[in-house]
Amino acid sequence: MKKTLTLLVASTALTAVIGTTGWSAMATAPNAIQRPLTTLYEDGAKSLPVILASDDDGDDDDENHGARRDHGDDDHDEDCEDDDDDDDCIGGAPDPATAGTAAPPQNGLFGNGAPPQAQVN
Amino acid sequence: MKSLLAALAMTTALTLPGLAMARPVTLTTTLNSYGGDGAYLVLFVTDATGAYAGSLWMAGGKSKYYEHLTDWHRVTNGDTAQVDGITGASVGAGRTLEITLDLADALFDAGYTLHIDAAVEDMRDSPNEVAVPLTTEGAGVPVAGRRYIASFAYDM
Repeated sequence: MKKTLTLLVASTALTAVIGTTGWSAMATAPNAIQRPLTTLYEDGAKSLPVILASDDDGDDDDENHGARRDHGDDDHDEDCEDDDDDDDCIGGAPDPATAGTAAPPQNGLFGNGAPPQAQVN
Repeated sequence: MKSLLAALAMTTALTLPGLAMARPVTLTTTLNSYGGDGAYLVLFVTDATGAYAGSLWMAGGKSKYYEHLTDWHRVTNGDTAQVDGITGASVGAGRTLEITLDLADALFDAGYTLHIDAAVEDMRDSPNEVAVPLTTEGAGVPVAGRRYIASFAYDM
């Protein structure tokens, strides 16, 4: 009888230990007391992030939002569009604003009347 | 009543010179049939001492070619801000460029000279192609250029 009682206590204790460990592993750690029981699983999850075969999808598509159109495009810089040596534009002076898109320079030569007009016949 | 008249006289006196300080001037440049690509032209003004006073027009929008407009480039160091808002397309051989500008009266009969530099791709640069004093008497009188410009005239 005493032997049977000992076996029952031992099996109950063993079941309780196994059950508590498993339950702790399944649940999140709400406090520091249960932390040691879940550390094994959580640390494993943190140290082994899901790595995609290619991380080039999705996350960088909107890098150029709000930037100039020619950044990242296949076409050439519009300021330097030409059929010859485009690399001359790199580091060079910017092209001036065309007539009608900006006011004439304030060099004292122009009045305040009609804006400059030009035509080629 | 007396002060009102004085105020009216004052405002009229201040307004009239402002209206008369500038006038529309048409600059007409006709190119020769030189058989090349479109010409880059720059029209600029020097004062009585020969110092650069400012630019009037740039025909040609690519700043990388401005170094071929040698006189203008030398006095401006190629500063494209000098031609912001007064830049148009280059001019083809045999074509006529007609520009209408509202120019200050002070430019005329005061020793100012209008210069035109010209350049054509794969052809010789032509600085000071035209140099014409700005006078009321010279208005409407055509002037021949040296290489690419057949004639230039300004009309008021």
